[in-house]
Amino acid sequence: MTSVSTSAFYERFNLDQTALRSRAEALQAAIGSGNRLGRSSDDPVASSRLRSLGRADAFAAVDQTLSARASSDLMLTDSALQSFADSVIRVQELATQAANGVLTPAQRAGIATEIEQISGELVRLANTRDSAGHALFGGDTPGDAYVLDAGGNAVYIGTASASDLPLGDGQSVTRGLTGPEFLNFGATNLFALVKGLAAELAGAAADPAQAARDALGALDTGLETITTQQTVIGTRLNWIDLTTERRTQMGELRADEQADVGGTDLAEAVSKLQQTMTVLEASQASFARLSSLSLFDFLR
Amino acid sequence: MASDLLTIATSGVRAARVALDVTAHNIANAGTSGYVRRSVQLSELASAGSFGRIGDLSFSGVRVVGMARNADAFRQSEVRRTSADAARAGTELTAYQNVEAALEQSGLFPAMTGFEESLQRLAADPVDPSLRTAALEQARTLTRTFNLADQGLSTVRDGLQFAATDGTEQVNRLAGELARTNLQLARSAPGTADHVLLLDQRDGLLGQISGYADIKTTFAADETVSVRIGGAALVAGGAADPLAMATAADGTITFTLGGGPVALSAGTLAGQAQGLVLVRENQAMLDGIAASLVSAANSAQAGGVALDGAPGQPLFAGSTAADIAVVLTSGAGLATAPSGAPAGSRDPANLAVLRDALVAANVSGQIDGLLFQVASATQGRRTTSEALEAIAGAARLALDAQAGVNLDEEAVNLVRFQQAFQASGKAIQVAADLFDTLLAIR
Repeated sequence: MTSVSTSAFYERFNLDQTALRSRAEALQAAIGSGNRLGRSSDDPVASSRLRSLGRADAFAAVDQTLSARASSDLMLTDSALQSFADSVIRVQELATQAANGVLTPAQRAGIATEIEQISGELVRLANTRDSAGHALFGGDTPGDAYVLDAGGNAVYIGTASASDLPLGDGQSVTRGLTGPEFLNFGATNLFALVKGLAAELAGAAADPAQAARDALGALDTGLETITTQQTVIGTRLNWIDLTTERRTQMGELRADEQADVGGTDLAEAVSKLQQTMTVLEASQASFARLSSLSLFDFLR
Repeated sequence: MASDLLTIATSGVRAARVALDVTAHNIANAGTSGYVRRSVQLSELASAGSFGRIGDLSFSGVRVVGMARNADAFRQSEVRRTSADAARAGTELTAYQNVEAALEQSGLFPAMTGFEESLQRLAADPVDPSLRTAALEQARTLTRTFNLADQGLSTVRDGLQFAATDGTEQVNRLAGELARTNLQLARSAPGTADHVLLLDQRDGLLGQISGYADIKTTFAADETVSVRIGGAALVAGGAADPLAMATAADGTITFTLGGGPVALSAGTLAGQAQGLVLVRENQAMLDGIAASLVSAANSAQAGGVALDGAPGQPLFAGSTAADIAVVLTSGAGLATAPSGAPAGSRDPANLAVLRDALVAANVSGQIDGLLFQVASATQGRRTTSEALEAIAGAARLALDAQAGVNLDEEAVNLVRFQQAFQASGKAIQVAADLFDTLLAIR
């Protein structure tokens, strides 16, 4: 005879109810939090993947900051280069005027004064600060890029090269230019050329007009060097844009994967919850019916 | 004629009374845990004909032989075995979950990411004091999360040791009670209510002990039980040997019984022993990760110069998760510039070396690996535990279904024995009528 004891009947109902309730609660927690995983052991592989995705997200945020920083430094560099180019063009104009043989020495002295002024501006321009307040053209040095020696000549005191800023995924960009990279050409540099020209026009040269004509060729080379470096800066800015775009795309992919791996599929979770609740209600109803069936009710 | 109608009817009334009492007792204990349904064993009382009266009818009614306990020894031992397995798996799972929580909730992985992130941010402007301070504070956070994770593991270890100590005491207490029950069983007569009660008590104690350890039982003819763990006797007759627990320096526990070591394979004590091994392994791995972080960061520091141009000093001190700490006093001490760079250099070459060293030492990968290992082990243990729990539940249900009280059945018995009582009463009345008939003869 198979007999089912009363306590076994209650015990079985109790086990079933506990299982159903815990399943419903797990679904409810998943819906409430939007996360499929409550703890790593729910799905170790997915959790590990989520950790590395989160890590990549954190680094991408820093990369974003760094590329914004690099971008603004390079823009500053670009505008400073433009100012240099403008100054060189102005010096070219003045040199062209001074090359004219009909000018009087006084007029040439006036031109020399203006070039002298521009020469001073050039040194100040070369000591422009970047977004963090360091020398824009000094490489890795924290202070000024150029100082004037006893003879009033600009001397470069920065480092040999500017360092790279990482942009993420192993990519990097050089954050700026050092002064010598665009101010030195041939055996001379722009400061020496402009300062020398001013001195020659002021009377140091026997034939100032010829000296001005000689300087015009060198100024052309200087301007060319500057515009070449402007192109370099433009290319670097493009590169930053490219990496930023790529980072955005990677970020979207990561967000997609995070939602896939760790997110709750609401439609599925809600329908499963509904199913569980239906089973729960049915089992409670049938339990209520069964437990009210007692032979003792019929004993009078 | 040897039969006596009145005596027969009286014995019937008495038997029905006892059966009704037992039925009522069963109903009263329908919800008592560990209660095994009793039934009355009746036997016919009749004698063969005596000398010279061969073939004579000689009925004497019914006799209550004793009380039977409807317990199936096989199902009971199955319940003990399966619940010991489930208890071990459940305890082990709890230990795994606690270790998982200790490692995960300490936030080790996010802290490591935060530290590396702050170093990367520092690359933007290596001489910025606030970025340097931020990197140093992230390093401090990282060391504290290592400390926290280690403390979490230690707490798990302490909890397991405490529970195991208590479990050992409980086993010894229960073994003592079982030995006393054995003595009483040997003295009580089989079939008496007292004997049946002692059997219930014996089975209850066996069930409780098997929750702590895997036991092997042997039942003697007088229903006393001897209990062995491994090869050594825990309870033999009226004597109990104490189970002793020893804690090793690394926190793991071992058990001895009767002077010799015993290996437990089931029960909560076995689960606690396994949990302690897990804690030891994880603490060792955590220490290894902390040591690789310290050596990677410090050797990278030594290869560069600090903000003031002085050679880089160690960033971390300590070599285990418990004692790792930041020793640099200020962010200016971070050696971001390569060796030989002047004071205040913005050259981030050595910062890159530091970041590369952390990547090469694979610190975050190791942390992820540790978390993954514990999580997947926990997942596996959960599956095992659920399976064993289901098996134990089924075994309990099977025993309950067979040994428990079914109220419908008892209701039927109530009616049946009431009718038997009434019928025997009627027989007494018939006997009286017969007697009256005889007396009425004139």
